[in-house]
Amino acid sequence: MADERDPKLSQHYRSLEALEPSRELDQQILAAAHRATDRAHAPLVAPSGRHRWYYSLAAAAVLVFAVALTMHIERQQPDPEAVRAPPAPASKAETRGVITPKPADEAPAKPAPEAPPPPAFTPDPQSQRPAPASRVLEQEAARSASDRAAAEQARADEMLARRAASEQRAAPAAARAAPSAAPAQADAQVRARREVGAAQQYAAPAAAPPAPAVALAAPEKPERWLERIAELRSRGRHEEADKALAEFRRMYPDYKLSEVMRERVEGR
Amino acid sequence: MLAYRNGDAAAFETLYARHRARLYGFVLRSVKSRAIGEELFQEIWLRVIEARMRYTPQARFTTWLYTIAHNHLVDHWRKRGLTLVSLEGDEMPGASPDPADHAEARESLARFAAALEALPPLQREAFLLHEESGLNVAEIAAATRTNEEAAKSRLRYATAKLKAAISDG
Repeated sequence: MADERDPKLSQHYRSLEALEPSRELDQQILAAAHRATDRAHAPLVAPSGRHRWYYSLAAAAVLVFAVALTMHIERQQPDPEAVRAPPAPASKAETRGVITPKPADEAPAKPAPEAPPPPAFTPDPQSQRPAPASRVLEQEAARSASDRAAAEQARADEMLARRAASEQRAAPAAARAAPSAAPAQADAQVRARREVGAAQQYAAPAAAPPAPAVALAAPEKPERWLERIAELRSRGRHEEADKALAEFRRMYPDYKLSEVMRERVEGR
Repeated sequence: MLAYRNGDAAAFETLYARHRARLYGFVLRSVKSRAIGEELFQEIWLRVIEARMRYTPQARFTTWLYTIAHNHLVDHWRKRGLTLVSLEGDEMPGASPDPADHAEARESLARFAAALEALPPLQREAFLLHEESGLNVAEIAAATRTNEEAAKSRLRYATAKLKAAISDG
């Protein structure tokens, strides 16, 4: 009922002055409406106000991260140039043009009288490379590692023997005859073998640099060893001289003694 | 309005053309100054533009538009210190505050215009929403944030006063 209009009132109301907004007012409102829709897309084109620095910060962060990542990767990879052309050592063996194991690795297997003393545990530049790229170098490193392992075993045996001999020398002669001497010697051998094993493990093939402790336990030079035997003989310690000579024979079975040296060490 | 909310500026032009005259008449007849009426009219449309993203088609756009208009008018009236609701103490038609106007106004239109202007704001608003904007009682109630009974009462009082003003001649 209240929704129905009164015709008389409606007629009077329609008779009033017609009111319309001016054209200028219309344009102002329509322009504002267009500006509003344009502004809605503006942030997609160009950020404004205090949010602008976010983009610069994000770009800088990405750049720093990329540079850091690149440097990290370069440090992790081996230098291919260095692997292909290692620094040439002054050794004469390099004149063959092929990287060969050092004489030190072959010395225990083929001792020669005039051969230079074996430079035990000389750092091998090739073996210090953690990950050689070339397959040839890998094989070479593996072979070198096996040779080195054999040399390590030989040195271990030598050390074992020498340790036992020195303990025998230190023990009194009566104790040596006693039955308790054998377990003591066995313990010494086990201890020495354990130490040598630890030294071998520490000096891992083709990876770790030589350990100073192992270098100190290097075998004695044959000439020096013979000199020591001759000295024992000259002092009348024939028993020790005989044992040392036997040990020497075992270590260097094909070492050729000169006549003069034979007389000195054998005492005959 | 949904099209304009989605970025279609041309949709706003259609919407504006449909409602501009009625809203302008409603606003200008609700206030006594053309300058103020035009200012309010512009503010109402700017508010529509700003609030477009919050618009949901739960009611007619007309109702939403006049709700915004009502809020602006209420703010305006409050600034002017005008009484918005005075139904209980309101005098019925025939007791015009200025009887001399009735004596001078011979033409019913003049009396009608004077009576419309003399209406309390909320009654005038209800009448204008009904007559100018074509809203029914429920829509008037929704636009003016009141219940239908109050809207119906305002409209009835306004109609009675205006009728009395016309028949006075």
